[in-house]
Amino acid sequence: MATVDSYILFIIMALPMAGAAVILLIPGRRVAAIRWTAAAVALAVMALTFYAFLAYDHDVGGFQFARTWTWLELPGPWPLGFRGIELSLAADGIAVPMVLLTGVVMFTGVLISWKIADRPKDFFILYFLMLCGVFGVFVSLDLFFLFFFYELAVVPMYLLIGVWGSSTDFKTFLRTKEYGAMKLTLFLVAGSVLIWIALIAVFAEGGLGTFNLLALRDAEFSNTFQVVFFPFLIVGFGVLAGLWPFHTWSPDGHVAAPTAVSMVHAGVLMKLGAFGILRVAVFLLPEGADRWMPILIGLGTVNVLYGAFSALGQRDLKYVIGYSSVSHMGYVLMGIATLNPLGVSGAVLQMFSHGIMTALFFAVVGAIYDRTHTRDIMVLEGMAKRMGIVAALFVVAGLASLGLPGLSGFVAELLVFLGLFQTYPVLGILGIIGAAVTAVYILRLIAKVFFGPLDPRWKDQTDASPIERFSSGILVGFIVLVGLFPFPFIRVIDTGVTELLARVAGS
Amino acid sequence: MSYGVIGIDSAWVIPALCAAAFFFIVAFMRLFPPSTPLAKHTPNLSAATSILAILLGFILFWFVLADLLNNGPGALSINWLTIGDTILTWGVVVDNLSVVMLGLVTFVALLVQVYSLGYMKGDPRFGWYFGAHSLFAGAMLALVLADNLLFLYIAWELVGLGSYLLIGFRYEKRSAAEAAKKAFVTTRIGDVGLLIGIILLFKATGTFELSAIFHAAEAGGISQSTLNASALLILMGAMGKSAQFPFHVWLPDAMEGPTPVSALIHAATMVAAGVYLVARMMPIFELAPTVLLIVAIIGLITFTFASTVALVVTDFKRVLAYSTISHLGLMMLSLGAGAVGAALLHLVAHGVSKALLFLGAGSVMHGTGGKTEIWEMGGLRKAMPITAVTFLIGAGSLAGIPPLGGFFSKDEVLLSVWDHRNPVFLVLTLAAVGLSALYMARVTFVVFFGKPRNSDIHAHESQPVMWVPLALLALLAAGVGFLAFSWTDSYRGFVGFLEPDEGFHFVAWLTVLSALLALVGVGMAWLAYIRGAISPQRISTRFATIHRILVHKYYVDDLYQWAIDRVVLVFGRFIALFDRIVINDTGVNGPGIAVKLSALRLRYAQSGWLYTYGLFMAFGFVALALIWWLVLA
Repeated sequence: MATVDSYILFIIMALPMAGAAVILLIPGRRVAAIRWTAAAVALAVMALTFYAFLAYDHDVGGFQFARTWTWLELPGPWPLGFRGIELSLAADGIAVPMVLLTGVVMFTGVLISWKIADRPKDFFILYFLMLCGVFGVFVSLDLFFLFFFYELAVVPMYLLIGVWGSSTDFKTFLRTKEYGAMKLTLFLVAGSVLIWIALIAVFAEGGLGTFNLLALRDAEFSNTFQVVFFPFLIVGFGVLAGLWPFHTWSPDGHVAAPTAVSMVHAGVLMKLGAFGILRVAVFLLPEGADRWMPILIGLGTVNVLYGAFSALGQRDLKYVIGYSSVSHMGYVLMGIATLNPLGVSGAVLQMFSHGIMTALFFAVVGAIYDRTHTRDIMVLEGMAKRMGIVAALFVVAGLASLGLPGLSGFVAELLVFLGLFQTYPVLGILGIIGAAVTAVYILRLIAKVFFGPLDPRWKDQTDASPIERFSSGILVGFIVLVGLFPFPFIRVIDTGVTELLARVAGS
Repeated sequence: MSYGVIGIDSAWVIPALCAAAFFFIVAFMRLFPPSTPLAKHTPNLSAATSILAILLGFILFWFVLADLLNNGPGALSINWLTIGDTILTWGVVVDNLSVVMLGLVTFVALLVQVYSLGYMKGDPRFGWYFGAHSLFAGAMLALVLADNLLFLYIAWELVGLGSYLLIGFRYEKRSAAEAAKKAFVTTRIGDVGLLIGIILLFKATGTFELSAIFHAAEAGGISQSTLNASALLILMGAMGKSAQFPFHVWLPDAMEGPTPVSALIHAATMVAAGVYLVARMMPIFELAPTVLLIVAIIGLITFTFASTVALVVTDFKRVLAYSTISHLGLMMLSLGAGAVGAALLHLVAHGVSKALLFLGAGSVMHGTGGKTEIWEMGGLRKAMPITAVTFLIGAGSLAGIPPLGGFFSKDEVLLSVWDHRNPVFLVLTLAAVGLSALYMARVTFVVFFGKPRNSDIHAHESQPVMWVPLALLALLAAGVGFLAFSWTDSYRGFVGFLEPDEGFHFVAWLTVLSALLALVGVGMAWLAYIRGAISPQRISTRFATIHRILVHKYYVDDLYQWAIDRVVLVFGRFIALFDRIVINDTGVNGPGIAVKLSALRLRYAQSGWLYTYGLFMAFGFVALALIWWLVLA
């Protein structure tokens, strides 16, 4: 089994790529074949991510399923020789839940996109390419490939939003999908420029001629170097994580994107940023982390409150969810910035929990939009009467979002709060207040859109289709599972976090 | 005497049964599509599951009680999460306090559910109704058993969820949707305080376990400032759930739920949670005497405030709601005097009586076609004799008429205030006691006595499934007060049961005075609403300003509405606009536009005309020459 296990990450990463290639060969008019292929590939990937999650041995910890292929090499000592660039895949306790999250969101996203009528072939090809990139980032130990996959995840997004997206057009407010797509891409590329600068600097300063993270762990980075280059990584990855004030691409991008892409985008892609902060920034530059974390924790607090109040002031359903993502990612940033086991474990669990929860949100909003062709809160009223299941799903996502115990958000946020109170009690209080504001905007939305008398113009709406029920059911299952039985998740996350924080403490 | 394996160790089964019933009902409801023949049985099966779960819980309660009386308190704890060096646990405790609540909750919930079989008959969401009831009861039972603040908080929030689902049960009604939201948000604001208070205690002691926290606190392991802060914050949570001023606004609106739900919320679940929490945390409050005084003041304010408002409200259920708020205030006042026993006795007496009153109100609404305006009713005692008699007992109990239950519990509360607090508290409390008798008598007289006021109402008595619970509750409401007495050497009164140091005692003049005040209140109502000797209209025109303030409930609701609309929402819109205009349009689009505009200008430099290039070359040459010359010089 051990040998099979060591290939599993490669298979998980490569299978979407292979799926894209297979779909490329199917003629575009054979829509059913394309859908079923996509679903089969996604199901296989989800099953494998599940297996990887269960097979990860939390007693041993560390990086498991490791396998390395050399890609570019020049024998000899640096700088004459060059250890080279390797495709080095492995996953630790932080990466494994993220891989599982991606698998789940990927599969449910395919199901949600079942009815896509406009060029489904191209859609699924790009969708799979993007997910190949996402998986690659989570499991790469070589910084070069990590960056490569990072870009691979961002670029297809541009086309997915620009072609299959939708525009928001209120009389006073217009955002086209092209605008959303362009802004998102420009922001993320700008972020990656900063990341690339820092990675090259790390490569040069490390003096080992390698991009391999585990090898660079032994490199001695001076305190000055760490303090100077840490902000590059924080801002670079932070852009992707929705860090205030570099967050505006995210609501606009979420809103413009088609449903499945919003799910991946808010559910998984934003987690790449937070993951990058942990995997690259904190891992390589622990002293820089120690120095800059007070700033990050402050910005994270702004994220939480600013996102929550912004959500309160929105009129478009998707913008509310978009800003709620900004707010919830604030908890992730705050948790990471505590640099203590409770806070960071909470942050990682929040990444997982928010990924599932926001995917459910976007799936439900997509279901409403597909039927009513509007997301305007002003005109939607009493939808629960006709769309009982859709309403119930939204309520579950909403309750998870406001941190109701028994659902995933509570456990994650509680751990973040406990971590915060150890170091920054005042910010912890602000965080808890942010959760109360979340309750206000979520419950207002539910009361307005789903409850109350049914607006007669929606009297012919249909409830969720079997496919929508099934895919949303998977997400609800995870929300309840993590909420009631967080142990299997915490057990795995805790090993990864403990090892990471040992580096910070040791520096 | 041994009861085998069933006892304190299986107390956790009681909430677990309800939780299992909830999950079963939720899963089962969706199992059969509406068209299949089995689908038509799902509502009844849901109801049966829910009632069976709570009935088993009620039976188990007696075993737990017997075990407790024989073998003393017990606790159970399991590890929940391990993160780094921190271990979070869950645990349950069975002691005298939790067993009282256990009995009250299982009993009232059971009766309410049975009653609902009749009241909710034919409702399109009959099955879901019972599912939500199971969740609500299960959460409340978990709450009273929790030996652990984290577990308690989880159950606490789930109680809030249960109330949200049940208050908003008729979600097609705009007012029900709004009431559900209001209840959740208001209590949630209190919960912000509760969670912070809990985390502060965790930070100070490194544990969520109550026994360990009390131990540390008594040993001086927690600083006074932390004790004060966390007690105050926990009080905030309790004020939210127990509808204490200024968090009371959600409770009167909560009557938007079906009437049996109101009975449950007002009697046993939800509002009892806050009183229970303060009682449970009494060791912490006792170490923070300032906060305990605040508890008493809050209770007193709530008691008088709600009693005055209840005098002018004309909606049947709203009168009862304000009466609940006032009695919750009385319980808080008692807790503020450090008297857990008196508070809990009043909680039980009030719970039984108020459940009776709400179920009676439901019976009235059922019999009159859903009317709630008291001035449309009248003379109902002829058409609905059982409802009228039972209602009279419940109202008498709450008004403090001897020898009904509420009289004795109120007496214990007054006694505790007299023993432990400044006489000013007692004077104000006694005044409000008179008021509470007055408003209770007013609503009873207007609804059940006199002549029918609306000829369209053809009232009829309800079916047995509804009036049997009424009769049972009436018996209890009449008799519960005798729990207060010291019967045997081992049972030295209800107060002694909860506070071993306090024996049963009473002060004769206080007992007589409170009985007299209650009778005066009832007498005034009799003069005003039956004899017509006093005209309420004349009084209200005479004191028009006061009347207006009371009718507007001291403008508290209006103030909150204003604050939400004009402050919170406006702030949200401001941030949203700020994000759009300052951050996005200026900060993000700004540089883009700047590049575009400068490109528009600069491209004219590339004109293709030779003489422009020549001119620029000349300028450049001169500039370079100047620099060269200046640098040299």
